[in-house]
Amino acid sequence: MAEPVLEVHDLHVTFTTEGGLVPAVDGIDFSVAPGETLAIVGESGSGKSVSSAAVMGLLPSNAATTGEVLLDGRELIGLPNDELRKIRGNDIALVFQDALSALNPYYSVGWQVAEAYRLHHDVSKKVAHRRAVEMLDKVGIPDAARRVDSYPHEFSGGMRQRVVIAMALVNDPRVLIADEPTTALDVTVQAQIIRLLDDVQEEFGTALVLISHDLGVVAEVADDVLVMYAGRAAERGTVRDLFYRAAHPYSLGLLGAMPRVDVPPKPRLTTIPGTPPSPGSIRTGCPFQPRCAYTHLVGERCITERPELTPRPGEGDHEAACHLGRRPEALL
Amino acid sequence: MTTQSVSEELLRLKNVRKYFGLPGAPWRQAQAVKAVDGVNFVVRKGETVGLVGESGSGKSTLARVATRLLDPTQGSVEIGGVDVTNVRGRKLRPVRRKIQMVFQDPQASLNPRQSVGTILSTPFRAQGIRPTRAQLVELLQQVGLSEEHLERYPHEFSGGQRQRIGIARALSVKPDLLVCDEPVSALDVSVQAQVLNLLADLRDELGLSYVLVAHDLAVVRQVTSRLAVMYLGTIVEEGPADQVYSAPAHPYTKALLSAVPVPEPGVERDRIVLTGDVPTPIAPPSGCPFRTRCYKVQDVCATVRPVLEPVHGSTEHRAACYFPEPPPPERTR
Ligand SMILES: Nc1ncnc2c1ncn2[C@@H]1O[C@H](COP(=O)(O)OP(=O)(O)OP(=O)(O)O)[C@@H](O)[C@H]1O
Ligand SMILES: Nc1ncnc2c1ncn2[C@@H]1O[C@H](COP(=O)(O)OP(=O)(O)OP(=O)(O)O)[C@@H](O)[C@H]1O
Ligand code: SF4
Ligand code: SF4
Ligand SMILES: [Mg+2]
Ligand SMILES: [Mg+2]
Repeated sequence: MAEPVLEVHDLHVTFTTEGGLVPAVDGIDFSVAPGETLAIVGESGSGKSVSSAAVMGLLPSNAATTGEVLLDGRELIGLPNDELRKIRGNDIALVFQDALSALNPYYSVGWQVAEAYRLHHDVSKKVAHRRAVEMLDKVGIPDAARRVDSYPHEFSGGMRQRVVIAMALVNDPRVLIADEPTTALDVTVQAQIIRLLDDVQEEFGTALVLISHDLGVVAEVADDVLVMYAGRAAERGTVRDLFYRAAHPYSLGLLGAMPRVDVPPKPRLTTIPGTPPSPGSIRTGCPFQPRCAYTHLVGERCITERPELTPRPGEGDHEAACHLGRRPEALL
Repeated sequence: MTTQSVSEELLRLKNVRKYFGLPGAPWRQAQAVKAVDGVNFVVRKGETVGLVGESGSGKSTLARVATRLLDPTQGSVEIGGVDVTNVRGRKLRPVRRKIQMVFQDPQASLNPRQSVGTILSTPFRAQGIRPTRAQLVELLQQVGLSEEHLERYPHEFSGGQRQRIGIARALSVKPDLLVCDEPVSALDVSVQAQVLNLLADLRDELGLSYVLVAHDLAVVRQVTSRLAVMYLGTIVEEGPADQVYSAPAHPYTKALLSAVPVPEPGVERDRIVLTGDVPTPIAPPSGCPFRTRCYKVQDVCATVRPVLEPVHGSTEHRAACYFPEPPPPERTR
């Protein structure tokens, strides 16, 4: 396997709020190699966006970040802001979760893409403008040379998402973090964006970190998957490990809860009782314990001892953070 | 016990159009948004119908016309066999009892200053009824909540629980038909599954009929028996869900279904990636509304708009297309 371009080790993010400390990300590790796609999945509030903001050094001042974020082996945590600015948007770029509102309504889309280029390249406006047209064309904006002067409101949601992706890619980043890039879009447009990201990776060898709660999208584009629950990793492995050999009860629950379009419906969807905990509310034991259908098979340990990611015997790099030794579905 | 007789009609929309435009001057109507543009739609007792289509296709508008929250520009709305197109104000009360709506955003559709008990009483009051506590508790139990929740306020609930409260409120007046507009799209998948199972239970246990408006085709497949597909304000295909899902006849339905990702890594699927965007509903294309993006388009498609016609030898499965997809090859059992 290729050397990873981005490595994250033992990342912690804690917010100081009026209500106390909020450990939104509580020790996660991941890495991604050029041309590969890592998907981070998990329900709302599990810490996906906070993790990506931490990697980019974009958290608000009430956040404390510890751990390692290595880009080509270079530590980013603690870098002075002017150093970070050289890297951000240049070597590593982020498509924000709320990308559609990330565009400024008062500037043309071309101007915004060109400005993102000029931030890292000392070129004339004309050259930057040409680069903007080239990028808009690349992301599939029809008639880009003419549409470059349009304003965001003149574009559909799918086209705006393409513009945002063009902006993120304009400096040929080595790593692209895309936070829910297709969530607000229709499936038809989603299919276009997925194909676009795929083409970009093929052409430039970009490493992609895809944050999503849509397991269908993940199955389609990811090489590796990290399942997050309450700020921690529940499971990590290849995309096949997750979909064909899920080892954590939470992952299994997510898969069972998902309705499918391609097969006749099951009489009932599997549900996970209750709702995800707020960060920090579960201090000892397994954060999934209150919702877990398997905890009775383990007993006390689920409440007293926090499970760490442990390799699954004979399954390569597949790891799960669960005290159950065996595969859960065989047990119920 | 089921009989072969055609069951009672709960809702019938006849040739409904809803244009949003500047009122008054006729020349301005040329600029109107043709949100719903000639729809015939029937729901019978016991049916659960999915209404799907891309953003802006007119699903919510149709739902609001059906529940008499919006007046149609043209056409008629029959509820329980009675034409209610021109019924307004107090006279709408008995109509509202028959057909109730559940909205997308459970947060926004519940008054934050009212307790759950008050929220659930509102529809009764609108009918001039004072509900008993036992009635309210029964409602909560129907949606998997309990008496202890009666005195609480919306912010004390999770998104999924709030959506259950929205459903309980709609069920309070024992409607014949529930129209749910994107009831689970704001919910996480584990919570979404809870609400979908609830809808299935209400169907099985109370015999509830509903129309489920959603853009997520997998969600709709899970809990509906019939499917209608909208494109640019018209229904382009409808039929029994299993038939439409397994053998779509309209090219748009086929493309839409093929675009839904399937959770099976490594399994290659034939995907029809539609190019371009949905045209503006102010000036839809002549003839077939889908022709600007269709992979089968011919000259004839630009002439007259195709109407819904039976396909695949089934009387119930219909598509509006000059060149529908053929039925699937005989399946071996
Ligand atoms: N600025 C902040 N101050 C305090 N807490 C915060 C802040 N930003 C995020 N959090 C908390 O951190 C946790 C993780 O949030 P995050 O946005 O990473 O979730 P997510 O996994 O991206 O969810 P979603 O799927 O909804 O986008 C949440 O509980 C959130 O409330
Ligand atoms: N009150 C209104 N005034 C003007 N135009 C409207 C109004 N309501 C809806 N529209 C337009 O009518 C069309 C259909 O909208 P509608 O909300 O019914 O679509 P939808 O299928 O529910 O879409 P979504 O999936 O995004 O909810 C859109 O073009 C919309 O912009
Ligand atoms: S450690 Fe225990 S509670 Fe946690 S997921 Fe495994 S079995 Fe369930
Ligand atoms: S009528 Fe023509 S354009 Fe319309 S869907 Fe059928 S083949 Fe395509
Ligand atoms: Mg997020
Ligand atoms: Mg809608």
